[in-house]
Amino acid sequence: MYVIIVGGGKVGYYLAKELLAEPQHEVLIIEQNADKCERIAEELGDIVLRGDGCEAATMEIAGFGRADMVIAVTGDDEDNLVSCQVAKVKFNVPRTVARINNPKNQEIFQRLGIDVTVSATVAILAQIEQELPTHQMIPFLTLGGGLELVAVKVPAEAQVVGSAIKDLLLPHESLIVLLISPDGAPRAPTPETTIAIEDEIVAVTRRENEDALRAVLTSSA
Amino acid sequence: MEHPTQLAQDILVPVDGNPSAFDALALACTISRRNKGTVYAVYIIEVARTMALDIELDADARGAETILQQAEQIAGEADCKIEGEILQARDAGHAIVDESIERGVSAIYLGVDYKMPLGEFELGETANYVMDHAPCQVILVREAAGGVAE
Repeated sequence: MYVIIVGGGKVGYYLAKELLAEPQHEVLIIEQNADKCERIAEELGDIVLRGDGCEAATMEIAGFGRADMVIAVTGDDEDNLVSCQVAKVKFNVPRTVARINNPKNQEIFQRLGIDVTVSATVAILAQIEQELPTHQMIPFLTLGGGLELVAVKVPAEAQVVGSAIKDLLLPHESLIVLLISPDGAPRAPTPETTIAIEDEIVAVTRRENEDALRAVLTSSA
Repeated sequence: MEHPTQLAQDILVPVDGNPSAFDALALACTISRRNKGTVYAVYIIEVARTMALDIELDADARGAETILQQAEQIAGEADCKIEGEILQARDAGHAIVDESIERGVSAIYLGVDYKMPLGEFELGETANYVMDHAPCQVILVREAAGGVAE
């Protein structure tokens, strides 16, 4: 798989290093800064191209036309958006991934057709929220098409305790995909599976239905 | 006392068909033969990133073989045997340095043309990179100003 990484900062460097550990990948980093290019070339070999990853001419030289994946991880959301969008529209790259520095930009990236967005801020927040007892719903991952993967811990007083999944009135386009018992054992949900106190429910839902899903799974009797 | 240049045994010579590269080869053969070493002549085909690195470039490969044959002929005249190799790489400079490390050569003999693209002599990207990064000794053989010396 030919993977092009736009941005040779820490994220780009370590990502390339990880990908190069798998011999089936061909990796190229596009970086503007000459010192960074030099350092990457010294440590990872001839896998770096100096240039602007938003410029069509650089993209042409880099071989976007045969890339299987473009991952834009610069510290600038606008650059990441342009790289991924041009990759998608002009070069028909099958999969684009963009790093988002400002979580506010997540929606616009998805609306503009970027396949996957990764926000370090959101990921850190989710990790911290997981440790906060007051937060009942933790967003895990943003999927395509406005869907989110979330986890909800069922409190002892919740109305759904003892109910079967088939009896729950879940919001539109929401789906329970996994249950994790308090002892950490995962269970694949069936319509007959009953919900127990302190179960962790992993579900897919639309972003706009998150509050409704949390209400169904956590509100008291 | 002999100097490192006189003691060089295994020498890498990138050949690209230019007279300066063949001059470098002839010089490498003389030194290496005296020290009972090996001369590695490499032709590097630079593959654009628009293509996979292992793509078969028949026309380039045929051209490379012709140049390596010429290199063997020059080495033969100096009573020296060479090992020729064709490499495909993204960048010639990187490939030369990597090859020198892999083969553990004591020197790279690099022919450079006399180029003045902006009115001043320029060594070129490949020679600059090799000078900057090669772990072994690098000998540059520059062609005479204005062309090959008689």
